[in-house]
Amino acid sequence: MSEKNISTNPASVVYKRCTVDLASGTTTFAQVPCKNLEDVLGGFGRSFQVLAERDIVEAYCPENPVILNTGLLTGTSIMTGMRSYFSGYSPLKKSGTGRPGAMWSTGSGNFGNKFKWTGLDEVIFENRSDKPVYALLKEGANGPEVELKPADHLIGLTGHAKIMALYQEYPEAHFAAIGPAGENWENNYMGAVVMSTDNELKSGEPKSRFAGRGGMGSLMGYKNLLAVVALSSDKLQKITPEIRDVNRDILKSGGSARFQPASQGGGGGTWANIEVLQVFHAVPLNNFRPKGNTDVERLFRDEVEKEFDIATEACHRCGIRCHNNLFYKNEDGSRGKLAAKFDFEPLILFGSNLGVHEPAKVCDLIHRCDLLGMDAISLGTTISYVLDYNERHPDKPLFNGATFGDYDKITELIEDAGRGKLPGIARGVKRLSEETGETAYAMHVKGLELPAYLPDTNPGYMFAIAGGHMSMGTHMMLAKEGKHSLDEWTQAITTGGLLQVGYDMIGLCKFVGVGIGHDIIVRALKEAAGIEIASEDILAAVRRAYLRGLALELRQGFHEEKEYTLPSQVMDDPNPEVTLPKFITNEFLGELRQRVWSVFKPEMEGLLPVRGE
Amino acid sequence: MQIKVKLYASLRRQKFDEADWEITPDQKIASIVEQLGLARQDVGTVLVNGLHAGWDETVAEGDIVSLLPRMGGG
Ligand code: SF4
Repeated sequence: MSEKNISTNPASVVYKRCTVDLASGTTTFAQVPCKNLEDVLGGFGRSFQVLAERDIVEAYCPENPVILNTGLLTGTSIMTGMRSYFSGYSPLKKSGTGRPGAMWSTGSGNFGNKFKWTGLDEVIFENRSDKPVYALLKEGANGPEVELKPADHLIGLTGHAKIMALYQEYPEAHFAAIGPAGENWENNYMGAVVMSTDNELKSGEPKSRFAGRGGMGSLMGYKNLLAVVALSSDKLQKITPEIRDVNRDILKSGGSARFQPASQGGGGGTWANIEVLQVFHAVPLNNFRPKGNTDVERLFRDEVEKEFDIATEACHRCGIRCHNNLFYKNEDGSRGKLAAKFDFEPLILFGSNLGVHEPAKVCDLIHRCDLLGMDAISLGTTISYVLDYNERHPDKPLFNGATFGDYDKITELIEDAGRGKLPGIARGVKRLSEETGETAYAMHVKGLELPAYLPDTNPGYMFAIAGGHMSMGTHMMLAKEGKHSLDEWTQAITTGGLLQVGYDMIGLCKFVGVGIGHDIIVRALKEAAGIEIASEDILAAVRRAYLRGLALELRQGFHEEKEYTLPSQVMDDPNPEVTLPKFITNEFLGELRQRVWSVFKPEMEGLLPVRGE
Repeated sequence: MQIKVKLYASLRRQKFDEADWEITPDQKIASIVEQLGLARQDVGTVLVNGLHAGWDETVAEGDIVSLLPRMGGG
């Protein structure tokens, strides 16, 4: 892989692709030379170039592929280097013209490592199988091999149960599976890909990780692809002194420290955000409408600790240990069974934002969503809309009439949505709000539901290309820095904010916490992948990859003014309870859009391939 | 002179929730944080009377200085 001047000679890096035709069962292997640095870095930087070559008018069509790939550092000994990526045109993200938007979704766990260690960098699943199958990716005597196997025995199982069933057959493998939500793809567009962790396989407890955003699990379901098994021997890269230094620097960086365990002096993961945002009454409550009260404080870590045993755990060999798993306490005080993973997004979106404040109930809701294999952000945010609608229309409520805090009825909604019985919810909040005619408080941008950061604080959501906080790093800017001028927001979106997506190319977690052009990243690429890329070249490649994604949105018909906006409640009815500056008006957004497009558009020219070439 | 210091999340767990604190006039926020025994890299946001403030700013008698840890999400 090593070549001195990668920036001017990306074709010297070659990756291994397998194309699987799910309709015929045939597989084709190819050595693909990289076209550019985005290809070299990998992840969505590579997959979006494949997607851009296709003319896709609806997500559920045979020509829309599921692309599974890795980043340059996946499978290396650089800390967190285990990401795998699922890309395709999303059933959930859709433009006003009805065309789907391109998406990627990513997760950790040990699946990415095992996949990379089969010798493959990318698998493109084409067409659809007429019977349920799983794909077995394995290393063979002469290189990687791929087989499709019948998956009838997996039908109807939760994502975790599918993983455990496959584990019986393949004890050396790791797994990516869909849950009942993905199987019910026609009525559920928010199916996640559930990925196994070492802890999960060892304990039998559902400690999976999720590639949740954009319904990539539903797309797998449409293709009748219920799971992917990555079977390879462990190929742990030798930890050289240089790699050890990189890992030490990752752990010591202030950026990752905030995600490290509270017991070790770290910030305790994203959970800590709740307490910080509450200082400004900016924690989503009752469909993103904080009331300025203390309701959310029952979900502070100290409160939850009274009831549950909190264990910080990690993916394979990761020292950041960002998972907060909650266990019930037995009567004698010992640790009981796993209750749920507890991080900021699910905690808020199934807790305060649904008006549910008892930790045990929040745990149960998260747990159900996870088992059914749905994206917690999309489901939580769509249900909060339903509850809001029902509160506004007590005499003509939607579905079972659930309102904020109605735990039993919310449970029903989750179960029914996950099993394909409530398409009204499981096709997402954009479609639902268009049906009800009440779009002002439907919390999505471009059809993707908003994560647990108020849109009132983040106009950057407009320019996120794959989910609000994963692809535009401005979601905390107002709370952190108080900045609210047009100049500051233009600058943030067009420079640092978009670089957030760089981690979704290189195979590391964002929780490494340093900028993508940081010396730590340059050294990691050099020491672990043997590839020298200057910081400015990394930054330029990430920028091009982001802008290609944006160009692809416009080509799929997203309207550059009407769809690059926020839910209108933010502008028309600002929340007086939030103590941060209220600066988002229609005029502000109009001016911001104009400024941002004027920076981006000239750079977007020529980034999309001419189809068919 | 006296100010009130409020700490949040991991900072609160390291030290205290809220305390009256003696400082010298003209003492900058960076120096107050140091005096509190907190690592500057652990503090992400400083508020003075609820408004964002910088390391080099000074405070007045009776001000409320809130210190928030670094935040991040995903
Ligand atoms: S940072 Fe968290 S999600 Fe990422 S590899 Fe480490 S433990 Fe896993």
